[in-house]
Amino acid sequence: MKTLSIKKFSLLILAFIVPTVSLLFFDFYLKQREITQELIKTNLQSAALSLNHFLRKNFDPNEIGNIVSQLDSRIITNKAISSIKIVDENNHIIYTSQQLEKSLAEDDKCQPITNIMKSNLSKVSCYDFSIKHYQGLQAHFYRVIIGLNKEYIAQLQTQEAKRMLGISLLFTLFFFILIYFLLERFMIKPLEGLRTYAYYSEYSPQKFLIKEFESIRYSLEMTFKRLRTEQENLYNLSTKDPLTGLYNRNDLKSQVQRIIASAKRNNNHFAIIFLDLDNFKNINDSVGHHFGDIILTKVATVLRTAIRENDVPARIGGDEFLIVLPEIENERSVIEVVQRIKEQLSKPIIMENERYNVTVSMGVALYPKDGEDFNTLLKNADIAMYEAKELGKNNYQFFTNKLNKSVQEKIKMQSLLSDALQNNYFQLFYQPKVDIDTQTIVGCEALIRLVDPYEGVISPDRFIPLAEETGMIIPLGEWIIKEACEQIQKWQDTPLKNIKLSINVSGLQLEDRNFFEMLQSNIACIESAKLDIELTESVLIQDFNDKITLLHKIKDLGVTLSLDDFGTGYSSLSYLRDIPFDTLKIDKSFIDSMEENKIFINMIIGIAEDLHLNVVAEGVETQAQLEYLKDMKCEMYQGYLCSKPLPAKEFETLFQSCSNNS
Amino acid sequence: MKKLFYFFVISLFLIGCAPQNKKELIIATNQWIGYTPLYYAYEKGYLKKLNIKIINSVSLAEAADIFRIGQADMVTTTQHEYNSLKKSIHDIVPVILLDRSDGGDMVLSNRSITELQKADRIYAYLEVDSINQEILKDFIKHSSLDIKKFVFINKDQEQIQDINYKKELKKKKNIVIVTYTPYNTSLEQQGFKEVASTKSIDSIIVIDAICTTKSLLENDRKRVVALKKIIDRSIDEIKENPKDAYNVTAKYLSNISYKEYLDSLKNIKWINKPSDELLEFLSKYHYTKESIIK
Repeated sequence: MKTLSIKKFSLLILAFIVPTVSLLFFDFYLKQREITQELIKTNLQSAALSLNHFLRKNFDPNEIGNIVSQLDSRIITNKAISSIKIVDENNHIIYTSQQLEKSLAEDDKCQPITNIMKSNLSKVSCYDFSIKHYQGLQAHFYRVIIGLNKEYIAQLQTQEAKRMLGISLLFTLFFFILIYFLLERFMIKPLEGLRTYAYYSEYSPQKFLIKEFESIRYSLEMTFKRLRTEQENLYNLSTKDPLTGLYNRNDLKSQVQRIIASAKRNNNHFAIIFLDLDNFKNINDSVGHHFGDIILTKVATVLRTAIRENDVPARIGGDEFLIVLPEIENERSVIEVVQRIKEQLSKPIIMENERYNVTVSMGVALYPKDGEDFNTLLKNADIAMYEAKELGKNNYQFFTNKLNKSVQEKIKMQSLLSDALQNNYFQLFYQPKVDIDTQTIVGCEALIRLVDPYEGVISPDRFIPLAEETGMIIPLGEWIIKEACEQIQKWQDTPLKNIKLSINVSGLQLEDRNFFEMLQSNIACIESAKLDIELTESVLIQDFNDKITLLHKIKDLGVTLSLDDFGTGYSSLSYLRDIPFDTLKIDKSFIDSMEENKIFINMIIGIAEDLHLNVVAEGVETQAQLEYLKDMKCEMYQGYLCSKPLPAKEFETLFQSCSNNS
Repeated sequence: MKKLFYFFVISLFLIGCAPQNKKELIIATNQWIGYTPLYYAYEKGYLKKLNIKIINSVSLAEAADIFRIGQADMVTTTQHEYNSLKKSIHDIVPVILLDRSDGGDMVLSNRSITELQKADRIYAYLEVDSINQEILKDFIKHSSLDIKKFVFINKDQEQIQDINYKKELKKKKNIVIVTYTPYNTSLEQQGFKEVASTKSIDSIIVIDAICTTKSLLENDRKRVVALKKIIDRSIDEIKENPKDAYNVTAKYLSNISYKEYLDSLKNIKWINKPSDELLEFLSKYHYTKESIIK
């Protein structure tokens, strides 16, 4: 439907109203005209009646002169009458006023006075009636003709018409102007004001006279006020962190993008500090999230006071904060801020009479050196922060390319590891353990290898720490045990059936509550004594008592235990006393520097002998080393002198060839 | 607000639909004892209900003039005015019969009929062009008087009543006055005596009736019928309580005394409920019985 402005609509209404009013006026005029005619007719009727009465009593055709003056005076006193004429039965004029002489011919148009009320004055020029005059009792009839003053009658009506027309025109004009003014002032302008206000939502119009418009204006004002408040709240919600009042990640991103743009234009430098609370999880877990929130608020307050006026602090995650330091001159400026933060945070937070020390690790990335966009800078600052944590927390690190490389490596490894089990990228390699006296292979250590389709074989040094860090060591350890048991089973009916197979188990695996059941189920199908578990001293440090119990239970299954890398760690004799180890493995570092470590090698071999433990020397690579170990009555060795770790098939071939040689 | 609007619209509608008052009807009449029912009904307010008004004039002729000119819708007439008006207003019809003069119209004289028969010149005061003329002619004929001896003086009844006859009689020895009740009272007080009346003259009958135009009767018959009922009721009330009727109508009858009022009433007979024979009789005066409301 086509829309219409209220102005046009009002004009249309007026265009309808004005002719209607004019018609009403015209109708009123016609009625007035009718009334005027009625009045004139009544006047003529009364005049005729009076004349009739007068003539009835006074008319005598023979003495007409007696009444002439009275007849004439009736014409003078009644302007509607132009003439009076009396004629006899033969149409002879008995009396006539002077004015009538001119219009004698019009007498034919006379109407009987009886019909006066039904007649049309404009079409009649005279009225007549008859009178009688008696001579004795003999009646003679005369006709009295009353001529109308047409000019006067027409003038009366014309004047009235002009007056009415003038009034109606004036009134219509006045009415039009008045209505238009009222519409313009009280409807169109307010509506236009409301439209503008509704569109721009500012500059509220002044109060309106019309109640409904005022209600709309007030409602709009209230609505816009509420919208502004909600908008402000939404803006704060979208840009600010509700807990600390610092900027949130989204807003920070846009701010950093602005700072980057400005830095690009002005060739400036700026820094991003990634700040993470140390051990915040412990605080939350031990004291509760409420306290955690208080800590976060306090840290935010510290950040606000420690930074410069135009620095931008933000909270981007649980206990992660980010501070942007625009327009820095050099790294010293950053260090000043970082130190200030560290200093202020070093003051303990006291709550409910308890003192809490909060420390933070911080990573710094610099624009443009460490990244030219927000995400890169954030990532690199994060890397630097992790490095700070790695380095013992409560310190800060600048992002470096080396750091970046190691992190990239870690990320790559993480990615590889996540799919390696599913894709069968893991493989067990077997390094033989050789009886020094007989020079026969009596056992082997299963060593895990990751075979990357692109990079090839990857040593465990590169992925085991990561597997431990990510918890992947648990499924990987299970896979190793399962794989080792299957291998023992495969060798069951072969010449390798007496080979004892060692596997390495990490501390995390031992802490896994399902470890024992898993081990038990896997060794169910083999002769358990053929499986040996190698443990390092470090594995035993934490929760020693719990682990002793577990190791006794494992031992009870028939599985043998080896203490790996003996002599490098605490080398606590209590381990040897409390844990039922079967074998001690002399760490490769002793063998590598044999000349310097002969006394320690002798000591270890002596302890093993005294404790009736088997001894395996690791990392034997030369014949001299072997000879010395033989002299020292070391029982077994393991090392490249015999073979590097080999895939199962190659190990089997090696075993065959060694068996044949012996 | 909405209710107010609906009220306004409905009010307008009802006002628009409300029957408008009928046009006022005017009856031109004159002083005559036989027209007392009209005065009575008017004074009692019976006519107001029908929006009917009366105009009282000094003579039958003037009343007829008012009707002729168109200033009245109805008129009280004798058969003389009725027939006279019929010449100019062709559709005039009698609708309500009021009374028959039974001594109400009379001839007064300062002489006896015998003296008049011997007189050389007789001055006759009368309302020419009225029933007076008929009565006088009839009187002359029946009293064997010579019409040539008569000098006719045309006056309406008020003028006749107002003449100083003592003075007049000095010049005019033999005077005859044709009048009717109640004008006769003051004339009789001046020494004039009744020499003839409608009671004694059998050859003439004077009928008073209300006439109107045929078109009005056709267009407003219900009102005319209602008027007839009011006339009937008024006559009944006048008969039942003449004193009350006198008090109400005396001013229309030159404030005559109650006795004179009662005497005047004796000189007429009400014919508002005419018999078929009377209607038949009246047809010779061109009184069409179809138009007369019984």
